Formats: sequence, C-alpha cells, structure tokens
Amino acid sequence: MTTPPKALLLIGGKSSRMGQDKASLTFEGKTLLERTIEILQPHIPEIFLSVAHDDTRSFSLPTIPDLSPNPGPLGAIQAAFTHDSSSPWLVLACDLPLFDDATLSYLLEHSSSAHSASCFLNRLDGRAEPLCTLYQPQAADSLNDYLSAQRRCARKFLESLNPQTFTLPSPLALDNANRPEHLTELSLLSSHGLVEKEVTITYYGKLSSEVPNPEEKLTTTAATLAGLYEEVRLQHHLSLDLDIVKPVVSDEFVNWTDPLPDKAPVAFLPPFAGG
Amino acid sequence: MSFHISTQPIEPAPLLAQVPQTCGGIVTFEGRVRNHHEGKEVTALEYSAHPVLAEKEGLAVLVEAQQKFPQITHVQAIHRTGPLALGDIAVFVIAASSHRAESFEACRWLIDEIKHRVPIWKLEHYPDDNSEWTGCEGCKHIH
Repeated sequence: MTTPPKALLLIGGKSSRMGQDKASLTFEGKTLLERTIEILQPHIPEIFLSVAHDDTRSFSLPTIPDLSPNPGPLGAIQAAFTHDSSSPWLVLACDLPLFDDATLSYLLEHSSSAHSASCFLNRLDGRAEPLCTLYQPQAADSLNDYLSAQRRCARKFLESLNPQTFTLPSPLALDNANRPEHLTELSLLSSHGLVEKEVTITYYGKLSSEVPNPEEKLTTTAATLAGLYEEVRLQHHLSLDLDIVKPVVSDEFVNWTDPLPDKAPVAFLPPFAGG
Repeated sequence: MSFHISTQPIEPAPLLAQVPQTCGGIVTFEGRVRNHHEGKEVTALEYSAHPVLAEKEGLAVLVEAQQKFPQITHVQAIHRTGPLALGDIAVFVIAASSHRAESFEACRWLIDEIKHRVPIWKLEHYPDDNSEWTGCEGCKHIH
C-alpha cells in the first residue's frame, strides 16, 4: 500500500430497527462509537465520522456530512471521496460490536491497491461485505456512475468492483447488531464461541407461506432465539422483523434474548388474527 | 369454563344450553366470515392455529376474565379452524352472570383479548384466486 488510508466511520445511518442511535449503544461498558474509534486510532490517524447532511451535533472527530438527504451508505462514501479523492478510504460501519484489531490489521496488511476495493466475505452467506472495506481512489469514478444510475445497494456496488476478498480472521467481527436483542446474541457468542445446535423450526401464518417448508430442521450456531430468527429471516427473506413475531420453545412463549437450547423445537408466530 | 379450537362448524344452541340457570344475563359474540375486507371481495377464509398454545392461551384468557369480572359465573369460547365459507361462524364467545351489565363488559373484553393473544391466523381467498394472510391489526399495537 502506498498512500496511507483515511477512515470513514458510518454513524449517520437511520436506525429504525434499533430504536436508538446505534453509535451511542453501549456494549460491554463502552459505546459502539468509542470501541470502534479505539480500534482504528493506532492504525489510521485520520478518522472522519460520516453524518447526515443536516447533522449539527459536535463530535470529538471531524465529520463529513452527506451531500444530500438520506443518500445511503454509498452517498457517505461519495462524500468522502469528494472530501479527498486521492486517498484510499477505509469505510466502516459502527454497529459491529465484535469488530477487533485483528480484523483491521489483516485488512490493512493484505490489501493491494491494484484492486479498487478490498474486503471480507460474510461468514453466513459468503458475499462481499461493503461496510468494512478499503476503497481505493479508482473506485470513486465507478461510484459516481453507479449513483448517477439511481442505484443504492452498497453490496451490489462492491461486487461490481470485482473486489479483493478475504475470509474473516475473527469470524464474528462483522456480525452487526440491528436490534438491541442482537447485542445479547453477540455477547453470548463472544463469551461461549460458536456452538452448533440442531433445531426444528415451525413457521406459522404468514411466515409459513414465505419459507419452502413450514417445518425445517437446521444446524445453527445462534446463541439466542433472536440470533436464530435473524439467521432464518435473512436466509428466507422473511418479511417480518422480530418486534412483531413471537418466539416459542417447546410450546411455551419465550423471550428473544433467552439462550437457544440444543435440540429445541422452536416456533415463530406472526401477529395473531383470530376472530 | 372451556376454550376450544374446532374444525367442525360451530353450533350455538348446544353451547347456550350449558349456561347454568343462575344466569339471567347472557351475552354472546358471534364472529362470522364476511364477504369483504378492506374494500376487497372475499370468497372464503382459512383459519389455522398453534396446536397447543391456542387452547392454552385461550383458557388463560378465560381464567383472567373470571378474575377481572368476578360476578361472571360462566364463560366459554370456541374458535373454528380449517376452511370456512362466507357466513360461517369463526368464533363464538359466551359471558353469563346474574345480571346483564358485567356480561356485556366481559364478553367485549374476551373477544378483544382472544383476537390479540390467541395464536390463530387467517388466510383470505379472493375471487381472482389470490390469497393473503390478513388481520395484522396486531402489527400496529403488539403487546
């Protein structure tokens, strides 16, 4: 790598699923923003916070506002390249409670500037992860073209760059926390590790029509009911988020943050509609 | 006191015959399959329920009703599952006591709680052969 990268930390995203600002969420005693900055600082001296175009809050680090309202993560990257078009940009989400030094070091050491982008593969679906990625200056033109075509998907954009990809050295480092329940999931995963469990899942009502089979057996490493639901929600593209679904284990209502027992008969119930 | 899920057509007469003679005020609620939902014509319905939790939670609702309305001496509810035709009874609720006031109140409370808490789902069929899971009013104010 020739030019040292700058870092863009995404904190301006809408967080309707979390119900609060993700960056200020506390995980093991520190906010996610503080944790992430502490990991970045020893490696990357110039860190910028990506914020909404009208964000007037003051931060301890310089900010790069979006150029327009709600342009999505790609808009944030565009604003960074507008700020400095000759530097590579490490773009990082701030909702990764288990992001660690090993992951950052690996990316910085192995990235080659011959590629427009260098990134990790998602541990579950094996696809390129756009929000822990080193984007080289040559990605900026492609990004402008992509956004001009009214396209917004960060993952598809990254894939269009044919990026250099790596397997995660710490498998959980890019597991994101979309909801408060996922913080419990990640705490348990980080303390107990990935433990395989066999579960049977029965889907009811609307959910039963969104899966290939209303009853499925699967092997999972999820630690809680919330983790399991997130896994199958992504796998089957389920339309309902966990705040309106109820989890059941062995014919009893349970809580999303309850540990997932091995060999558990699990059911997911969408909103009821009797009468 | 009983809460049942039944695949058979609901017959109100034998259920009403079980109300004890101490009850002078009997209020019933009969939920029937109507021919429209949110402006769409409906041709038939299919209800499904969680095989264990529906009766368990339904019974819990009845027990709570007796605690909440102590003057009520008889409560009963039955919900149909499987395919239903227009006009079929989907749910039947009885609340009975010596006098009418608490019976009205309890019956209203019972049907609302049953809709919110008992794991039952409704699949609506339309004239164009499409169908949709509906009645997600719960989405807006889930407990």
